[in-house]
Amino acid sequence: MIPFPSPEFDDAVAAVCHGSLAEDQARALNALLRQNPAARDEYILRVELHSRLASDRDLFAPPAAESIAVFPPPLLPRPARRRFAPALALAACLAALALGGWAFNHFSLRTGEGTTSHAVALLDRVVEADWGRGAPIPRLGGPLEPGRLRLVSGIAQIVFYSGARVVVQGPAELELVTPSQAVLRQGRLTAEVPPQAHGFRIDTPRVNVTDLGTAFGLVVRDQHTELHVFQGRVAMQSGPGAAARPLLAGAAAIWEHSALPELTNAQPAAFAALFDLPDRCLAAEAGRYRAWQSAGARMNADPALLVHYDLEHAAASRWELPNAGNLHDPACDATIVGCQWTAGRWPGKRALEFQGVSDRVRLSIPGEYPALTLAAWVSVKGLDRAINSLFMCDGFAPGTIHWSIRHDGVPGFTIVGAGPADCQIVAGPPVLTVDQFGQWLHLAVVLDGPAKRVTQYLNGTPVGEKTLKVKPPFRLGPAELGNWNNHGFREHDPALIRNFSGALDEFCLFGRALSPVEIRALFAAGKPQSDALVQNRPGLAFPDPQQP
Amino acid sequence: MSANSVPRPGESSAAQQQFLSLFLRSEREIYAYVSVLVPNVADAEDIVQQTAIALWEKFADYDPARPFTPWACRFALNKARQWIERRQRWQALLENGLAEELAQRREELRPELEVRLRHLEGCLAKLPAPQRSLVEGYYLRRDGIDDLARRSGRSVAAAYKVLQRTRQTLQTCIENAAQPEGGAPV
Repeated sequence: MIPFPSPEFDDAVAAVCHGSLAEDQARALNALLRQNPAARDEYILRVELHSRLASDRDLFAPPAAESIAVFPPPLLPRPARRRFAPALALAACLAALALGGWAFNHFSLRTGEGTTSHAVALLDRVVEADWGRGAPIPRLGGPLEPGRLRLVSGIAQIVFYSGARVVVQGPAELELVTPSQAVLRQGRLTAEVPPQAHGFRIDTPRVNVTDLGTAFGLVVRDQHTELHVFQGRVAMQSGPGAAARPLLAGAAAIWEHSALPELTNAQPAAFAALFDLPDRCLAAEAGRYRAWQSAGARMNADPALLVHYDLEHAAASRWELPNAGNLHDPACDATIVGCQWTAGRWPGKRALEFQGVSDRVRLSIPGEYPALTLAAWVSVKGLDRAINSLFMCDGFAPGTIHWSIRHDGVPGFTIVGAGPADCQIVAGPPVLTVDQFGQWLHLAVVLDGPAKRVTQYLNGTPVGEKTLKVKPPFRLGPAELGNWNNHGFREHDPALIRNFSGALDEFCLFGRALSPVEIRALFAAGKPQSDALVQNRPGLAFPDPQQP
Repeated sequence: MSANSVPRPGESSAAQQQFLSLFLRSEREIYAYVSVLVPNVADAEDIVQQTAIALWEKFADYDPARPFTPWACRFALNKARQWIERRQRWQALLENGLAEELAQRREELRPELEVRLRHLEGCLAKLPAPQRSLVEGYYLRRDGIDDLARRSGRSVAAAYKVLQRTRQTLQTCIENAAQPEGGAPV
């Protein structure tokens, strides 16, 4: 028998809570709890504490104002303060079926509460940027917080929130300090500073450069430092306490061994690669666009690809959306209702924008499937509805699915089973945050009937996996992208308005479960800009279905 | 699967709304009731889900004049029993009448448990950031333990250990706060 109190008792109770109890441990604990009332009461208290933590979401309310200062809140929106529901999924499901919009009060879907950002700049453009291994890869179009950026090779354009625009070429190490200050420890950069960002400052080990309305270039290579002024003038200060000296357009200062710089003419040619960035970006984007088209052509030969809307072959004046996928059934062409054409992932690539409550793409897919995979490139503009539709089968017919993003950034996937209680809502973590609005995101969900698994992906990475409780086969039938036909249920219930706000650049649907490697490949083939590391990683090409 | 089993507008939705309203009010108590027998979160949630389905199926038998929670807890106990019977180590833990004894003793202790757990929110707020973040990941966001361990640079066993110690810290904190003379108000 386990002694009480004792570390063995502590470990056994913890193992019960974590579900990792061994059988002999279970027997010993059983004997103790039946014989020792004090141990039994202690056990009940510990289990109650554990189950309260798991069930009472209100406990995790946003911290009081004073503690925010000590622990800066993460960039993720705080989980909505809501009552716990272990069977929330079921309840919401019943509620949806019962059309009781009131049930959404329990979600109390709110976003943005407590959402703060410490970001000082934005990663605006990259060409062949390699951020090295170990450090997280900064997201293109994403915010940058204060800290060091190491660029092994390639070029990155960083726009500071003050308005200053810095293009840096690797190998480089740049430390972001504030919206108007950075430190260049190594590497080459150019800075363009608009009038509203005057006073923007870049420090190097040898000299601090304060902008006075300019475009300038900096090179730091160990002890060697160069400052070139192309427009306007800067103030340079070598070391603390030293007097600031002006340097005018057309001039350069070079520090070699002495603290005193040698003055010479500015050499814009030495920064040509950085000035060429916009042209190189265009060329790189055109290359990405072509690579995506080739990958798409290979994918279209997959016999399990039911629908592929690449939006390449739709005439802007027409409402038909041809299916480029394998199933050459005219019935699988879609119809655009409302919507506006807008710019897609690359120059020249189009996307469909959903804005109004009527905007939708209607389609209909026949057949029954043991598994399904849905993937889409979307740019979310806002999560205005409690449920924002990505792809939803009409109504609640048995075996159909609803794919959506919840108001709080949670990707949602509902599988409707046979009976009113036989329905599963799969909700992942809140992975969509406000800082991702306006960026092209790859969302995917794999519904694997035989493996009894539902996996959701964001940008090629799994973000949630749940056991599938509804049995195959799955059906689609009439369905919509970006909206939902509630099939005659009460039209005026606000919970039933589910139109998507954002743009769709590509949608595909497979009648099989894609593997994580295949999802990763879909993402890699379609991401707006490449990063060298992902491109060079082997084994990520979409498998050619013609090859064994 | 038949299309007939999906409710049409207006059909049986009043019963469903009534059921949901009762169930949502009781579910935390049902969960706690199941939890004293099967504390592991995912398993307890599964049992509550099965209970909800069973309750809905038998909802026509429910007498609205009687309180809903005890009626629901009887179903929960049945579902928990069925679940335990199929799992040897849980049977080993709860055999020889311990399951009933725990459920009954928890009822007796409820007022006292409430007094202590009232301080849980304040105690959680006092946790140092790393522990709080682990607790939030495990209990609120339900991140997998593998994930949490990797992110905090620990082994899975070490992450479980930190969770165990953090619960111990919380327990000490709520017990101090529950002392009539002790603990600052939180």
